[in-house]
Amino acid sequence: MRSSIATIVLALALSFGLAQPQGTLTIAQGQDPQSWDPIDTFFLAWGMVGSSIFDGLVHRGLDMQIGPGLATSWEWIGEDDDRLRFYLRQGVTFHNGEPFDAAAVKFTFDRLLGEEGAAGPQQSNYTSIDRVEIVDDLTVDLVLGSPDPVLITKLAGYGAMIVPPGYVTNNDAETFNRLPVGTGPFKVIDYVPDDRLTLEANADYFRGAPKIQNLVFRFIIEPSTRVAELQAGRIDIAQGVPISLAGSIERATGARIEAVGSPTVSSLRFNHCAAPTDDVLVRRAIAHAVDREGIIDVILEGYGTPIASFQSAMSFGFDADLQPYAYDPELAQRLLAEAGVPAGTRVQIDFIGSDAIFREVAQVVASMLEVVNLQPTLVTHETNTYYNDMVPENRVGNLYYSGWGGWTLDFDNTAYLLYRTGQFWNPCFSNEEVDRLLAEQRGTYDQDFRQEALQQVARLAHELVIDLPLYQHQNLWGVADRVQGFVAPADDRHDLLNVSVGN
Amino acid sequence: MVTFLLRRLLQSVFVLLGITLFVSFTIRLSGDPAVAMFQGSSAPTQEQLALIRERLGTDRPFVEQYVDFVMGALRGDLGTSFRSGGPVSAAVVARFPATVGLALAALAISLVLAVPLGVLAARRRGSQVDLAIRVVTLFGLSFPNFWLGIMLILIFGVQLRWLPPSGYEGPVSFVLPSLTLGLILASSTTRLVRSALLDVLGEQYVVTARAKGVREEAVVYRHALRTALIPVVTFVGLQIGGLIGGVVIIEQVFAWPGLGSLALNAISYRDYPMLQGTITVLALFIALINLLVDLSYAALDPRIRYA
Repeated sequence: MRSSIATIVLALALSFGLAQPQGTLTIAQGQDPQSWDPIDTFFLAWGMVGSSIFDGLVHRGLDMQIGPGLATSWEWIGEDDDRLRFYLRQGVTFHNGEPFDAAAVKFTFDRLLGEEGAAGPQQSNYTSIDRVEIVDDLTVDLVLGSPDPVLITKLAGYGAMIVPPGYVTNNDAETFNRLPVGTGPFKVIDYVPDDRLTLEANADYFRGAPKIQNLVFRFIIEPSTRVAELQAGRIDIAQGVPISLAGSIERATGARIEAVGSPTVSSLRFNHCAAPTDDVLVRRAIAHAVDREGIIDVILEGYGTPIASFQSAMSFGFDADLQPYAYDPELAQRLLAEAGVPAGTRVQIDFIGSDAIFREVAQVVASMLEVVNLQPTLVTHETNTYYNDMVPENRVGNLYYSGWGGWTLDFDNTAYLLYRTGQFWNPCFSNEEVDRLLAEQRGTYDQDFRQEALQQVARLAHELVIDLPLYQHQNLWGVADRVQGFVAPADDRHDLLNVSVGN
Repeated sequence: MVTFLLRRLLQSVFVLLGITLFVSFTIRLSGDPAVAMFQGSSAPTQEQLALIRERLGTDRPFVEQYVDFVMGALRGDLGTSFRSGGPVSAAVVARFPATVGLALAALAISLVLAVPLGVLAARRRGSQVDLAIRVVTLFGLSFPNFWLGIMLILIFGVQLRWLPPSGYEGPVSFVLPSLTLGLILASSTTRLVRSALLDVLGEQYVVTARAKGVREEAVVYRHALRTALIPVVTFVGLQIGGLIGGVVIIEQVFAWPGLGSLALNAISYRDYPMLQGTITVLALFIALINLLVDLSYAALDPRIRYA
């Protein structure tokens, strides 16, 4: 009897031991966001790390489906569905021991929607929330001032990550930027800017303890160095493997490539305020002159998918029936003639010079436009100048690069900001029907209506050739064979709970 | 000597003021840091932008911002980073050893290689050894440093696995990046040592020394080399600026958390105080090195005195 008990105790001890987090997982990514405060960032690079430190009220899994997070359930209440009630998870604590409760939720949103949040880029995503009201310790209401049909998704990431009131209040902003505290599966131990962020497993994590004990994010800007580190066996996962280096990983032993369709799509936007692209016939001609499949096969080496509207198949509002304009240079020439555009007409293509892949794409597009007797010129810009000055102020040529794709996977995020009259990112295009549809779908929680409206916007964008959608990206991750359980995240936000590292 | 030192220090102050003024002015031409905070994400309202500008202090006149920066710098306070919210001085101090250590290690490698090779090539002028040194150094001059860095990573980091391919993990991490910079600097320095020594070996006092029967080693190392090193020291001093520029690029290749990556990120985020602070410290460092170079002439050639 005694030996049986001893055996059971030993077995329990062993199984307990096996369940303990162990090993170190090292991930190299290209960018260090420099600040880990959720209200202070718009970088995907933040999301890659932030999802391991923080939680939202809801959680979006690797299947991109929304489920319970720090809230176990929620419901719309109020006469006009203007109140979103969340029932919070009991017994959760922040990494520093502070309890998670309704007060923490209120503090998080008061901070986000208050003066502190106003000085950051995240507040504008959550302005539909008028205020937060505590019902009891574990029940909280978000009271909406205006409808936001994408709000639930937005609560799963970035600015809506729940922060600890005591830690944030008792420390200065720089401390929280550097050593953030959340409720997530890993706790921050150390941060050396531009070098690494070191975390350890949160054994008390409410979704279960992670399988790995230590997690290190290294920041390595140069992609070939990230790949070299993977090949040298010093890191386990390399983010953003360049297409040109994917083959070297595939051919080598000890690591593999995991490709995942990204929410990011690339297009050439048209300048509707400059001739000749102010003419829909010319825009249609250009759309027929560009061979997307050829670009994807040759330049992207197949790691891309052609798109007909400025969204991927993951996006809410995607219409599978919509097809890209067929590659037909002869038709393009006829349309240009019909539009009265003489041969040799100059068209300027603007893009970001440091984007090596798109530089090649732009060169190929230019050669395709030459085939239809246009005379393209290529102009490159520095990233910040391009996005912050050139595009919003319409200081661009006839066609200009745009890479877009919100993590909310909703076409509203793209179409509203890029197509609606007067928006910051839309300095020129205006169409009453598009404006109406975009406004209507934002004002309702009827998802069927929204889907139809967004699909209609996509069809109008196609018909008016508002832009020239090119392809959906595939993100390439280099993964060491010793890593088990890793799923490349489509939205770049890791869920490393079930990842383990062998020898 | 003291007069010379004071004059040079005064010059350095004006140089520093000029550099900080130029950097502060030009980075403000690159755009609005408030807008940069929203890069490609959401659409800021004008009210939001105004609030951010007020918080950052970029809504004030440029002259006021610049004078604040200079007055702060004189007290050792380089301002607060727009991005991290932390003091710039602390960030710069934390990164300084990594960058300067790398630059000095590269300098040491270049001198250790360049002086013996240059002397050897000069003493065996026209021989196969001289030809080989000249060809190899020509190769060295032709390589872009980032390419050489990646090659060294692939050979010693990936294939042989002798050294870490990147990162800042102790003395062994210095080897590859400092070799990358050092080998390229060694190439130009070797050629300069060779030509300078050849010039000096033709001087009258060297001929006289030889005629007196002084041993050839003593002629070269005791008499000729010291004089030949004056243009080399000038050259190396001037190269420090270029070396720091090279470090900025090499820091990217080797994921080196130094002042280069700090400055590049500052440009990217339009973090005015961080960029101003980083450039000021680097400029101060280069100015001091150049002063030391000038002072070293007297040590190398007793005929040189400072008025």
